[in-house]
Amino acid sequence: MKYLKIKTSFVFVLAIFLLTSLSVFAQDMNEDSVAAAKSTASNINWLIVGIAFLLVFIIGMIFDILSKVGDVQKKPVINWGKINGILSIIFIVVGLAACVWEFIVHGKLTFFNLPAASAHANEYDDMFMITLWLTGVVFVVTQILLFWYTYKYREAKGRKALFYPDNHTFEIWATIIPGIVLTVLVVRGLFVWNDMTSSRDKNALNIEVFGYQFAWNARYAGADNKLGKYDFRQMGVVNALGVDSLKENAGDDIITSELHVPVNQPIYLHFRAKDVIHSAYLPHFRVQMNVVPGLPTNFHFTPILTTNEMRAKQDDPKFDYILLCNKICGSAHYRMKMKVIVDSKEEFEKWLKTNPALTAKGTETNNSFSFFSKTSPLAFN
Amino acid sequence: MSAVASHADVLHHDDHGHHKETFISKYVFSMDHKMISKQFLITGIIMGTIGMLMSLVFRLQLAYPNTTFPIFETLLGEWGKGGKLDPNFYLALITIHGTIMVFFVLTAGLSGTFSNLLIPLQVGARDMASPFLNMLSYWFFFTSSCVMIASLFVQGGPASAGWTIYPPLSALPKAIPGSGTGMTLWLVSMILFIVSSLLGGINYVATVLNMRTKGMKMTRLPLTIWAFTFTAILGILSFPVLFGGSLLLVFDRSFGTSFYLNEIPADLAGGIERVGGSPILFQHLFWFLGHPEVYIILLPALGITSEVIATNSRKPIFGYRAMIGSIMAIALLSFVVWGHHMFITGMNPFLGSVFMLGTLIIAVPSAIKTFNYLGTLWKGNLRLNPQMMFAIGLVSFFISGGLTGIFLGNAALDINLHDTYFVVAHFHLVMGSAAIFGMLCGIYHWYPKMFGRTMNESLGQIHFWMTIVSAYCVFFPMHFMGLAGVPRRYYAFTAYDQFNVFVDMNIFITYAAFLGGIAQFIFLFNFFYSMRKGKKAVQNPWESNTLEWTTPVKHLHGNWPGEIPHVYRWPYDYSVPGHEIDFIPQNTPHEGQEDPLTEPQTIPTPERKVVPTLAKEEAVLFTLVKRWLGFA
Repeated sequence: MKYLKIKTSFVFVLAIFLLTSLSVFAQDMNEDSVAAAKSTASNINWLIVGIAFLLVFIIGMIFDILSKVGDVQKKPVINWGKINGILSIIFIVVGLAACVWEFIVHGKLTFFNLPAASAHANEYDDMFMITLWLTGVVFVVTQILLFWYTYKYREAKGRKALFYPDNHTFEIWATIIPGIVLTVLVVRGLFVWNDMTSSRDKNALNIEVFGYQFAWNARYAGADNKLGKYDFRQMGVVNALGVDSLKENAGDDIITSELHVPVNQPIYLHFRAKDVIHSAYLPHFRVQMNVVPGLPTNFHFTPILTTNEMRAKQDDPKFDYILLCNKICGSAHYRMKMKVIVDSKEEFEKWLKTNPALTAKGTETNNSFSFFSKTSPLAFN
Repeated sequence: MSAVASHADVLHHDDHGHHKETFISKYVFSMDHKMISKQFLITGIIMGTIGMLMSLVFRLQLAYPNTTFPIFETLLGEWGKGGKLDPNFYLALITIHGTIMVFFVLTAGLSGTFSNLLIPLQVGARDMASPFLNMLSYWFFFTSSCVMIASLFVQGGPASAGWTIYPPLSALPKAIPGSGTGMTLWLVSMILFIVSSLLGGINYVATVLNMRTKGMKMTRLPLTIWAFTFTAILGILSFPVLFGGSLLLVFDRSFGTSFYLNEIPADLAGGIERVGGSPILFQHLFWFLGHPEVYIILLPALGITSEVIATNSRKPIFGYRAMIGSIMAIALLSFVVWGHHMFITGMNPFLGSVFMLGTLIIAVPSAIKTFNYLGTLWKGNLRLNPQMMFAIGLVSFFISGGLTGIFLGNAALDINLHDTYFVVAHFHLVMGSAAIFGMLCGIYHWYPKMFGRTMNESLGQIHFWMTIVSAYCVFFPMHFMGLAGVPRRYYAFTAYDQFNVFVDMNIFITYAAFLGGIAQFIFLFNFFYSMRKGKKAVQNPWESNTLEWTTPVKHLHGNWPGEIPHVYRWPYDYSVPGHEIDFIPQNTPHEGQEDPLTEPQTIPTPERKVVPTLAKEEAVLFTLVKRWLGFA
C-alpha cells in the first residue's frame, strides 16, 4: 500500500500536466512558428538542463548512500552539527563583510549619497540616515548573536540546556526599549511627512503633469498661473489632454512634453491621468505621487539645483533629471518617462516663450506678460 | 470540551473495523485531515515550483535585456518570439509569480498543510470539526489552482496588472492584453480560493476552540496552534473583503458598472463612459485583505519556528506568554495598517500619519518575538538538523526584512522608496524567504509524521545553505538598487542611462537566483525520493513533547488507536531540572497529579507577582470569565 501515497502525488502532477498539455500554446502558435521554434532552439540549452537534473540526482544518490552507511555504522558519516556551527560563523563574517562592501561600492549610487536636488530632500535624507543607523545597529547585533549562538550552543555530549522559560524584567525592557526607539522615529517621521505633504506656498507655480499610456505631458498655467478646466470627454487624438481652450484660464495654458522648472521656485504639481493609474516618480527630488484617472493628486516641492549645477556636482555632462512612471501601467511601462530640466529663472522664462499657448490670444498674453517681472503677482525674491 | 472528546471517542469506536475505504475516498476525496494536509502540501509544492521557474525566466530577462534566448521561444511560443520575452508577458509572469507565491504557496500551501496536519494532532482531536468542509476546502483550492494555471493559456495571456490588480488597468481590457479573459480567470480563481480559505479557516478555529482533549487548556497549546488560530481568524475577517472587492471588479469589467472607474472615456472602456467611481476604493478593499494577508503568511511560519526552535534547542520557548501576546498584538494591529501600502495615492496626509503610527507599532511585538527566539537559543543544546537551520534562517530573514519595514512604514521615507526595488527586497525577505523557510522547516520537521519516513539530512543541509546564500545574494543587493531609485516591475532598464550601473548587479542576482533554483530541485528530489526510500521513522524522532508524536507512525483515521491522551502540562518541558531525559511529553502527569485540569506550577516564573486577593463575588466572576476563555 505504500506506493499508493506516491500515486496520490502522481494524480496531482498528472492533472496539472494534462491541463497544460491540452491547451499548451494554444493561443497563436501556428505550425510555422512551431517549426521555427524547433529550428532556433539550441540543443545546448536542453543539454544543460538535462545535465543539471542528472547532477541533482547523482548528488541525491551519493548522500542517500552516505546516510545508509551511517545507519550501518550507527554513527552519521557527516557530523552536521559541527559543520553547521563553523559554517554559521563563516556565513556571518563573510555576510557582514559583504554588507560593508556593498555600502562602499553601491552605497555611492544611492540617492542619500547624491546631492539633494530639492528643498525638502535634506530633511528627508536626515530622517533616512537616522533610521539607517538605528536599524543598522539592531541588524548587526541581532544577526551576530543569532549565528554566534548557533555556533556556541550547538549540541555537545553531556551538556544539558538551561531550563529558562521566562524573565519578566527582560520582557518588559524588550518592550520598552523598542517602544522608545520607535516613538522617536514616529515623531520625527511625522514632522518630515507633515513638512513634505502639507506645506503650501501661495506663490507656487502651478504645473499639471498628465500621464497616459505611455508618455507624459506637462501643462503650464500661463500668465494667470491658473490651470484651465478640462473635460475627459474631449480627450482624443487632437486634444490629448482634453483641455477646453475656450473655458476661462485655459487659453494661455502651454502644453509641453518636457518638464522645465525654475530653480528655487516653489512648484505645485497637479497630477492627472487619462487611462490607468501611473505614478510620477522624481527620485532626485524625493518626489513621488500616484497619477490616478478621475482623482486629482498633487505634490509641492522646490528644486534647489539646476540641471547644469547637478551635472557639475556629479561630474557627468550627460546627466538629466527624470520623471518616470512607477506604477505598473502596461507593456511600455518601462519606457514611460519624461525629461525634467531645472533652469535658472531667465532660462525658464525664455524656454516657456518658445512654446505656444493653446490659443493665439493666450500666446499674446504670455508674450506680453513677463512671468517673473516685478509687476507680476507671482514675482518672488 | 471533555464531552466533545468522549463523544468523538464513541463515534470512532462505532466506525472502527467495519468501514472499508476505497482508493477514491482515501486518496482523492479524503476527509482525513492528514491526507488533506498532504494534498495541500503537494499542490503547494507543484505551484511553488511553477512560480519559482517563472521567476527564473524573468530574472534572465532582467539580467540580459539585449540577449535572445531561443529557449524562450521553445517554451513560451508567441510570448518569446525570436527568443525575446514579450514585455506584456513579462508583466504576466511577475503577476502570476506573485499571485502563486502569495496565495497558492504561502497561504494555502503553508497554512493549509500545517493547520490541517497539526491542529487535530496537537490539540488532541480525532479529526477536524467538520471533515467534510475540510475536504471541500481542499477541492476548492485545487479547482482554483487549475483555473489559475489555465489562465496562462488563454488568448491575451494571463492577468498582467501586477498581483495587486489595481483597476483601471485590470478593469480595462484595452489597457493591457492580460486584462481580457486572463483577468476574468484570475478573479474566478481568486473567488474560489477565498471560498477555500474561509472553509478552512472556520474549521480551524472551531476545532481549536471546541475539540481540545482533556487537560489541553488554551495556555497549554503549542505556539503553532496559537499562530494557526490567529491566522485563521485573520483570514476569516479579511478574505471576505477581497471577495467583495473582486466581485465589484467583475461587475466593472463585465457589466459596465463604475465602482472603481472615474472619468474614463467611452472608447477606452468598452463603449460606456465610466464616471463616479474611485480607483483608490479598490486599493483600500484590496489592502484591507492584503495587509493581514502578509501576517496570514508569516504567523504560521513563526508558529512552526517557535515549536521547532524549542524542540531542537532542548529548551522551553522563552517567554511563552509574551509570544502569545505578540501574536495577538500583530494580528490586531495588522487590521489597522493597510494604508501604508497607499501613502502616495494622494490620501489625506493626516490619514497617512495614522497608518504610519500603527505600522511602526507593529515593530514592537515583532521585536519581542525576535528577542524571544534569541533567548530560546541562548544556553540551549542546539541540534542543528535541517529544520533547525531553516528556523534559524527564518529568524535571520525576519530581522533583515523586518528592519527595512521601518523605512517603508515611515510615510515620509516611503515617498521615495515606494514601488522601488527596496520594496521588492523588503517583502521578499520578510514575507517571501522567511515564510518559505518556515514552510521548509515545517516540512523537514513533520515529514516523519506525514510520510512515516525521514528526509535525507545531508541533502537538507545542502539545501539550506544553498538557499540562504542565494536568497541573501538575490535580495540584499536589491536594497541598493531601490535606494538609487530603480523602479520595480520594469521589463528592462535600457532606456535609463543612470540605471546602467546596475547591469552587473542584475547579472549577479540572476546567477544567485539560479543557485537557489538548483537548491530547490535538490529539495524536490529529497522530498519525493524519501517518500519511498527514506529512512523509516520512529514514533518520536525529534524527542518532542507535543501530542502528534504520541500517535502511531502508520496513519489511521481517528489518529489514536485507543483513548485520546490527556494533557497534564505545557508543551515546552525540555531539560527540566531534576529529570534525566531532556523532554517530558505533554501527556505525562506531574508527580501525584491525577486530574489533568488541576494546575501544577508548569511555568516556573522567577519573579511572578502575587495576585491580590479578590472579593468573593469578584473572584467567582473572574474565574467564570477565565473558564469561558479557556484559561482555567
